[in-house]
Amino acid sequence: MGRSIGKIVNPRFMGRKQRKDLLFAVVLLLPTFYILFKTFLFPIYQSLVWSMYKYHMLDGSDVVFVGFGNFIALFKNHDFWTATYFTGYFTVISTVAELVLGLFSALLLNQMFRGRVFFRMIIIIPWAMLTLVNGLLWKWIFQPGNGSFTIILKKIHVLSASENPLWLADAHNIINSVVVADVWKMTPFMTLLLLAGLQAIPSSLYEAAMMDGAGFWKKLWYVTIPQLFPILMIAVVLRTIAAFRVYDILTVFTGDPTTSISYLTFNKAFRYFYLGEASAMAWVSTAIILVFIVLYIRLLKKNSHEV
Amino acid sequence: MFEPTIEQSTIRNEVKPAVKLKSKLFKTKSTDLIPPFYLWSGLILLAIFTLAPFVYLFTSSISKTEELLSGHLIPHSPTLENYYKLFTGNGAGEFIAAMKNSVIVSLGTTIFTLFLAIFASYAFSKVKFPFRNSALFTVLAMQLLPSISIIAPLYVMMRNGISITIPFTSFVVFQTPPLLDTVWSLIISYTTFSLPFAIWIMTGYFQTIPKALEEAAIIDGCSRMGTLFRIIVPLAMPGIAATAIFTLLLAWDEFMFASAFTQSFDSKTLPIAIREFIGKHSINWGLMTAGGFIASLPPVLVSVFLYKYIVGGLAGGGVKE
Repeated sequence: MGRSIGKIVNPRFMGRKQRKDLLFAVVLLLPTFYILFKTFLFPIYQSLVWSMYKYHMLDGSDVVFVGFGNFIALFKNHDFWTATYFTGYFTVISTVAELVLGLFSALLLNQMFRGRVFFRMIIIIPWAMLTLVNGLLWKWIFQPGNGSFTIILKKIHVLSASENPLWLADAHNIINSVVVADVWKMTPFMTLLLLAGLQAIPSSLYEAAMMDGAGFWKKLWYVTIPQLFPILMIAVVLRTIAAFRVYDILTVFTGDPTTSISYLTFNKAFRYFYLGEASAMAWVSTAIILVFIVLYIRLLKKNSHEV
Repeated sequence: MFEPTIEQSTIRNEVKPAVKLKSKLFKTKSTDLIPPFYLWSGLILLAIFTLAPFVYLFTSSISKTEELLSGHLIPHSPTLENYYKLFTGNGAGEFIAAMKNSVIVSLGTTIFTLFLAIFASYAFSKVKFPFRNSALFTVLAMQLLPSISIIAPLYVMMRNGISITIPFTSFVVFQTPPLLDTVWSLIISYTTFSLPFAIWIMTGYFQTIPKALEEAAIIDGCSRMGTLFRIIVPLAMPGIAATAIFTLLLAWDEFMFASAFTQSFDSKTLPIAIREFIGKHSINWGLMTAGGFIASLPPVLVSVFLYKYIVGGLAGGGVKE
């Protein structure tokens, strides 16, 4: 094994030490690479192949090569565009909300005050909760009649006693509620990431800004945000990638699979067993996320060069 | 010639804030932006927004069904009835089986992931070899790909059983029976998804350990494997702990693979069991919130008590979804 890989890099240019290192690395990495190849890289390649075929897993029909047929059918499919719209809507709204709330929470928690550790610890609770339970909890909160959202609105007289709106009546309202659930669960993640970034900002910058008579908003705009910018970008890209694959919470809120691409893909594959079409759809998600991954890696590399 | 294109500090820089955290905790800072009144208003809002839904989950679970239906937010006569029903009533066996499966799957995934990732991270952080950085960034990319990309091929793989062959030949070394509806299908697929981020975090931590320590150990007659287990693993314990926590939480939380690969309570995990509380006609909210609270308790307790490891891991590039 060592020799066959050695050939690729031409062993004549390698010293004895280097060859020994290479062999050692190969031994250490072999199990991991084998597993990742077998259960990750190969399946991704396989789903690309399947996306070119008409492949139904259960009905026993022939597997037929259709080229880009699945993709063309997909782009003509109304459900797919509805799902894309909702996924985009969910991703943008929840990421922006988490960014803004996370930034302000991080600013609060970066100050000195008694009980800071306590506050930093409790914000981790929503993040640690099961995603599915989080979904059910918010569905319960948004129940018409006896859900706490309705009850609280009635107590503070925003709603009159006789009103009883259905919060989860249509797809838009459902997505908005799912955004609330996701913001509640994932803002802490944003907060903790940004908090780590805030702690790295040298205090001399704030002192200088204070000398110039800058207030809160000016300090935020001219010191904090520029200094935090690399981490802000990374946090936004990470959340975008994660929000894009929303699935768990939606299955609790609605049986309507057109509310996200993941949901639609999952149903295509495991409810109707059209593996060819499902693979095509999965590859659309994969391609979109790959763009963000490239962006993320470039951001990471850029940060490391600047520092 | 094969020097890494990116300085090792790539990852070290990511870890640094976590180290700084401790020293900054006890100092007053001139970076305080927010005046006390706004600070405390904000903190109170933050605490309410964070805790109220979680408290509501608990208070609902100790309420009588009639009180929930008539819209009491705070139970007038708290009762453990729902918990009692959960563990002794109809379907209690299934809930307990799901708890058992969740424990087996999370622990199994964590053990496999750590075992594989320790060796891989050692290679990535301490051994020089060609294409090291490209391989590391490929691993990072895999960490971020959605599970939906590979779920259908993995399903077919689990249905047929996994065969381990010698690459480029048709010689089968080992063939497993079909794995659908077993905990193994979940352990294997979760390990696949945890490995990339485990390698990424641990490589970062391993790189922070000075080379001098290793060299000293080698001069003292330690083998390279010896230095891994006597020097690096003990020193990188915070990183390994963070990785273990993220892997545990991920395996405990995962829903998509579990709903595709499991059919019976031989393998159903807690998220699936709780999903099934949404009955055909109506939801028993009392029972549901009790089940949800029990299922959420282990990850919440782990996160709160091991908070500092999680913060260090997040700063080191850990992503748990």
